[in-house]
Formats: sequence, C-alpha cells, structure tokens
Amino acid sequence: MTREPYLVLRDFRVWFPKRRGFLEALRRGTPDYVRAVDGVDLDIGKGEVYCLVGESGCGKTTTGKGILRLVEPHSGDVFVGAPPAVLREYEAARTAHDEAKVESIRRRWSLSYKEHVRWSTGDVLRFLAAALAATAIGTGVTAALFAGLLAARATGAAFVASALAGIAVGVVGTIPPVKVRDRVPRYMMGFALIATVLGDLGGVAFARWAAGNSPRLDAVLAAAAALDPIGILVQIAAAVSTASFAAKRAIRYWRARIGIEADKLRKLRKTLQIIFQDPYESLNPKHSVFDIVSEPLVVNRLTKAPAETQARVRQALHDAGLRPPEDFLYRYPHELSGGQRQRVSIAGALVLEPDFIVADEPVSMLDVSIRTEIVELLLDLRDAKGLTYLFITHDLSLAWVLADRIGVMYLGKIVEQGPKAQVIRNPRHPYTKALLSVVPVPDPERRRQRIILRGERPDPAHIPAGCRFHPRCPVAFEACGWTAEEVLETLREIAAAGGGSAGFLQGASRDGPLAIRVPSAGPTDAWLRRARGDAPGPQGDPGDRDLGRFHQDRPARVRGADPPRGRPGHGGVVPPVLGGSLCGPGRVTSGSSWGPCLPGRGTRSRTWARCGSGT
Amino acid sequence: MPILEVRGLKVHYGTQEGTVRAVDGVDFTLNEGESLGLAGESGCGKTTAALAIMGLLPRNGRIAGGSIGYMGYDLASLSDAQLRGFRWKHISIIFQGAMNALNPVKRVGEQIAEPIVLHDKVDREAAARRVGELLELVGIPRDRASEYPHEFSGGMRQRVMIAMALACNPRIVIADEPVTALDVMIQAQILELLERLKRELGLSMILISHDLSVMAETCDTMAIMYAGKTVETGSVTDIFKAPNHPYTKDLIAAFPDIDGPATLPAYIPGLLPSLVDPPAGCRFHTRCKYAWSHCVDAEPPLLPVAEGHRSACHLNTSEPPSR
Repeated sequence: MTREPYLVLRDFRVWFPKRRGFLEALRRGTPDYVRAVDGVDLDIGKGEVYCLVGESGCGKTTTGKGILRLVEPHSGDVFVGAPPAVLREYEAARTAHDEAKVESIRRRWSLSYKEHVRWSTGDVLRFLAAALAATAIGTGVTAALFAGLLAARATGAAFVASALAGIAVGVVGTIPPVKVRDRVPRYMMGFALIATVLGDLGGVAFARWAAGNSPRLDAVLAAAAALDPIGILVQIAAAVSTASFAAKRAIRYWRARIGIEADKLRKLRKTLQIIFQDPYESLNPKHSVFDIVSEPLVVNRLTKAPAETQARVRQALHDAGLRPPEDFLYRYPHELSGGQRQRVSIAGALVLEPDFIVADEPVSMLDVSIRTEIVELLLDLRDAKGLTYLFITHDLSLAWVLADRIGVMYLGKIVEQGPKAQVIRNPRHPYTKALLSVVPVPDPERRRQRIILRGERPDPAHIPAGCRFHPRCPVAFEACGWTAEEVLETLREIAAAGGGSAGFLQGASRDGPLAIRVPSAGPTDAWLRRARGDAPGPQGDPGDRDLGRFHQDRPARVRGADPPRGRPGHGGVVPPVLGGSLCGPGRVTSGSSWGPCLPGRGTRSRTWARCGSGT
Repeated sequence: MPILEVRGLKVHYGTQEGTVRAVDGVDFTLNEGESLGLAGESGCGKTTAALAIMGLLPRNGRIAGGSIGYMGYDLASLSDAQLRGFRWKHISIIFQGAMNALNPVKRVGEQIAEPIVLHDKVDREAAARRVGELLELVGIPRDRASEYPHEFSGGMRQRVMIAMALACNPRIVIADEPVTALDVMIQAQILELLERLKRELGLSMILISHDLSVMAETCDTMAIMYAGKTVETGSVTDIFKAPNHPYTKDLIAAFPDIDGPATLPAYIPGLLPSLVDPPAGCRFHTRCKYAWSHCVDAEPPLLPVAEGHRSACHLNTSEPPSR
C-alpha cells in the first residue's frame, strides 16, 4: 500500500561536536564530531507505524529527538506534512544540483532549516571603521591623559590607577548588552575588546615617550590632564558605539533566525510529540497528573479558560485509557502503576492533538504482561485519530507484530528498510540477519543457528571507513573497508587495463567528489572478484545493468589513504543502496535504481539494504 | 541429582505499611549441572528468593519459613557466620544491573580479587594471577584488570560481574537478570558465555529473568513465580509445550513471536496484587479468566501434573462449575 508521505527525512544528521581544548581548537579548523545520526533517509506514510530498530547507541533515539528538534540536527532536512508536489520538486532540485531552489524549498518547508545571516563585506568594513575610530580616539585621549599626569609629576600609584581605569573602561564598554550566540559577532566583539585594550596600552606607551622626550610641554600636557574626565567619557562613548554595533548585528541575526524558525517550531511542537522511554523517570514526581498533562497547553497558551484546560486534559486522559479521568486527575506518579504512568505520558502527548508521535521504547520498561495493552492503545489511537508513529524499539519481535515498515539502524545509518514481512522474513543485510538470528523465541525446540557478532559497535566518533559495519560483518571482504582513495586507485587500474567501458571513470577526478558511474556490470564485477580473491563469480544473468555509484558520504575532496575519521568528508565507499543488493553474486532487483535509493523515488514498496556483499 | 532444594520458602519484609510477604511459598529443585529459570513479572519475589538463598537479605527482611537444602544443610536455618562458609565458595551470585553493581572508584581487578583474598586466604599475588585467569575465562584481556568500571562497556561490565561470581570456584551460580538492559547482540554474547562456562566448569545455574524467551533458549528447568509463590515448575519443554497454570499460559502468550504470525500478543488484564495484603485463596484469581469461587476459598497446592511437572491450580483437582 502506497501512502502519501507524511514525514520525510533526507540526509538527516545529528552530530555532536566533541569537547576539545583551546589549543586543539586553534590547531584544527573543524571540530571532531560524534556522528550519532549520519545521513538517514526516511519516509513515513500518513497513518503508518514505522519501527526503527537497532542496538543501543545506534542513533535511534537521537533520530527521534532530532526530528522534534529536542536535539539540534547538524544538517539534512525534515519535512512534515509537506505537499507531495513540494517533495517532488525538492528531489528534482537536489538531483539537478540546483542549490538556490533547494535552499528556497528548505527555507519554506524543512523543519531543520537553520537561518544563516551572513556578514556582508560592507558590514565587516563598517565594523572595522568603528573599531578603528574607537581605538584612535581611545589612544589619543589616553595618551594625552597619561602624558599630562606624568608631566604633572604624578605619583606612580596615580599612573597605575589611571592605566587600569583605561583598560577597565575598554573592557566594560565592549561587553555587549545581549547574549550573543552566533560565532561571528562574538569574534568581532573579542576583536573590539582587544583593540580597545591595545589602544589604552598604546596610550600608556605614548605617554611615557612623550613625557621622556618633551619635558618642556608641561603646560600643554597639564591642560590635557585637566580634560581627564572628558577623555574618559569620550572613550566610553567610543567603546559603547563599537559594542552596540556588534550587538545590533547579533540582534538582527536573532530576529532573522527566530522569526522564521519560531513559527516552524511552534507548528512542530503542536503536530509532533514524543512519548519517552521510561515512565518511572520521565514524569515529574512533584507534579500531579493534571499538572503533567496540562503543561503543554499552558506552555503553548492554547486554552483560554481553566475550564477548557480541564476539559482537554480529561479528554486526553480518557483517550489514553485512564477512565474515569476524575480518578486520576489529582494523583501523583508514585500512586500509579507502570502501565498507568505510561498512559499519563501518552495523555501528555495527546493533549496537543498531534498528528505524529515519536514513541521512544514506550513499553520496554513495562512488564511483559501489560506491554500489549499499551501497544494496543497506541494502535487504537492511530485508527481513531489518524496518528502516524515512529516507533523506536530494540525488540525485533515487537517490531514484527506492530510495524508496517521496519528500518534497521546501525551506527547512525539505516542499513536496511522495507515492509516488515520482507525485512523479517527475507533480510538482505548481514547485520539484519545477525540481529534476527539472536532474537530469543519463546519456544525451547526452535533453536536457531545464531550469528553472534563479535566485539561491540564502534565508537561513533571514529566510524570505520567504507561500510561502517565491515569490522564486525561475518561476510565482509577486504573492499568493504576500503577508503575512497583505494577504490579510486583500483578503478583506475581497471580502466587502464581496458576493463571499463567508455565514460566509466567520468567524474572520478582527484579533486572532485568521488562519484563514479559504473554503467555496466563488467568493471565492478572484475573489481569485486579481485577484492574477494577467490570468491565465486556472479551468478545469474549479469546483463546490462547499472550497478550503482560509489560515492562518498558527502561531496568532498578525496583525501589520503588514511582519512581523518569522524569528520565531514572522510573518504570511504559507502555501499550504494539499490532496490535489492549490490554486486557480485547478488542480484540487482531494480535495474533502474541509481545511487542511494531514496525510498520516495519509486522504490518505496521494496526493501532495500546497504551492503556490498550481496545476498 | 538435586543439588539445591528449596521447599516452601517464605521471606517477609517489615515495612511501615505492614509485613510484605515478598516470597510466600517458593518451591524448586536445582539439579546438578543444569540451569533453572526463575521467571515472573517484576515484584513477584524472584530476586528476594535469590538473596535469601545467598543469605544476603536486607536488614528488614527475614526468612519466615521453609527450607533451602544444600548438601545436607538447611541454609535457611544457618547463622550468618556459618553461611559465610558457603557464600561465594559454594553459591555465588551475579547481581542485577551490571551498570551499577560495580564500585566505580575501585579498579576492576581489585574488585574481583576481594572475594578471593577473603575466602581463599591467599596472598595478593596469587589473587592477581587468579584474576587474570578469570578475566580470560570470560573473554576480557588480562591487562584490563587495572582499569576502572567506567572504561568498560555494559557487556564487558557484565562479564566482569560473571568473573567475580566465579572467583571462588562455586558450584552454583545465581544470575539475577544477567541480560536485562543489554542489547540483543550483547545479550546473545553473554548467554553464550554463561552456557560455555556452565559446560566447562560443570556449574549449576539459577537464571532469574522476566524474559521467558531467554529462558526457553538457555534453561533446562523452570519455575514460574507469581506474587511470591511458585505456580508451576517443570522442564522447559513442559512449561512451553504443555503449560498447565493459567498464569504460565497467559505469560507465554504475552510474548511476541518473531517466527509466528504478526499479530499482537495477548496481555493479562489487571494489576499485580499487593504483597502486604495478598488476595485470599489462589493469588492469581484476581486476573485469572477461569477463576471461580473455589479459587477464592482455598489456596491450590503445588501438585504433580506429569512426571517432573508440577502446577498449583484448582483446575487440576476439581471441576469448575459449568457456566
């Protein structure tokens, strides 16, 4: 059944910058990231239950929270309820690399779009002029001031006090009146501060020099000293004007950002809600059920009268199966059982009448005997209110009984997704196969051949090159872990040996993104056979087919053989996603699929997997 | 051959609300070299029963009746000093919650060495050698003994807990929810490890879990508990293939089966009864779909229904009134 896409994620990433020291930050431009979610493409149809499964730490929860912007996405797009025409336009613009078009669609529709207010050259020049003027005035006045003091044979103490006062004025004057978040204004203000302080110090130096060389100017300098208070005032004025310039910039930046984003976020909060994992931890023990459930209404100022709030809370409790609601309104979480608590969480999500709910392991903390009760409630609510769910779980058996479609996530990427029957009954990716093989079944006679993966998942700050699953993959061969550079070299060799057809290596230049079009089976098969050593050749009819496109994580320069890891643009072959599996003995079920399959592009009904090994 | 026989064990906790009868008649037999699964919902007394066997009940808990037979001794009636001779050298426990059961400020090696030094009366060097052996036994490189718990992942910490339980060559290991809160893959690794250790070291094991499907894969016999009582015991095949007690049936039905049809499993309506004031008669009658007046009047005894298979349900002895 093809449903109209309701929630669409494209290349969705949530990266957390790693903490680093000041010197480290100076040495290296871009920070290292923990790539919790690293390029997720997802389509959830209206009224669908999409189950995201995977081990803990694979980024399931972060994906859910990123959609709601409870954590800030790094890049990528989230469309909620965007008209199909817009989505088609967006896909077309992306394929055509029409950046301006993509940007305008993102700006209008994408919930993760962040407004960037760039500094124009004029802005920078004006700022520099202001800073210079402030410095010059500050320097001149201070110079005159100190020279005067010295000339008047002021004591050393007066000299030091005056110098400190000058610096203090510079510092205080440059502190902006608003909290500034954007990096650039912050740097600029730092610069203004340094300039003012330097100005003061310069003034001191000049005063010394002047006092040493022109003792005869006593009278003039004494007059300057008399202007002391005026000088300080002038300096304050200059510093304040510099600072206010930066502050205005910052405010403009905020206005632009908030103006567009606040609207979207407000809409977001009303239509998207989340049910948290642990009802024992996620409910405030000091709040009554009424407080908890009514809070979203109060915060969003959605109700006008207390009576209306009451009515909506009652309705939500009723919908969540806490009946009669009067019995629960003024109880506290500790007076409720686990199942009832989770119902309160659900009521808290329902009270805003959302369209989409991220259910983050809503039953994993509950006893088995009552889990189905809660799951049934969620499904009933979907039917009654037309809700759509992103259901996050680590329990494949649960996903099997409840999902419409399943996505299997590993280390920040969805490695396989499709209708549940295909993912569970006919898994394509080795990771899915392994996961399925270890799911315990409540039947002592049905012991299966278990594929137990060794070791633990890699650190998402150091994601392996190539296929990120290859270090643990039972069927991986050498090429699965190759870097982009190595793949490129090998393909060049094949091309040089006359192995490729015309245009085979087009676009594979050293400086460009590694996007190699492989128009026929020949070269890739040769490459894979070589990579596997003695592996069997392709089975079935190779035919004339498009085998995919080796591409990097994101367009970037091809780096050396040992790419910096956990940073944007690191090299590596990410297995292309096809309607089926890539290469070798595998069958390509969709001859027309190219590159990473976006499940909206006509392949939504099929399962797909990211794996180079084939099935 | 039975190695541990628990008969009618009762453990009561004194609290402000009254006496909590956390364990109120638990019966099971652990055979040598086998693993026994102790299953039930949270709050049914599984962990309390284990702590009672170990003699590790909290201050407000006491054994109020029953016996724990081990090698001709009744552990339930021994004094604390006498129990110390059995604890860890004969029976050890892998505590629940590997994430939090280790001391965060002590090196892992020291923590494993502690029971060795205490029980085996050996010097530090011998203990350190033993720690190395133990770590390798559970699949952790020897040199990680000098690391702190925070440097280990969840699965590795659980391995450390297992190494600790094996420190004094016990005959019986009680594993309290050893794989709860671990990922399926790590769960499979740990269960595989436990099975290997059981085989190689000839251990007898009590596995406590709420997850019946884990038990189906790892245990030989099972005891199902409900509200402090054993309601059914038998071999794993008996329990899963021919469950007798309505609670067992309902509990098994509550698990989704990935090989079965994609339909939602059943659930057991109602709440777990209060253990301060448990319902009269059969404890399950408040949630049981077959219950009739007799279930409220009399408590069903645990009676054999087949060879090695016992169940506590009135349905086995009397006819329900026809409706």
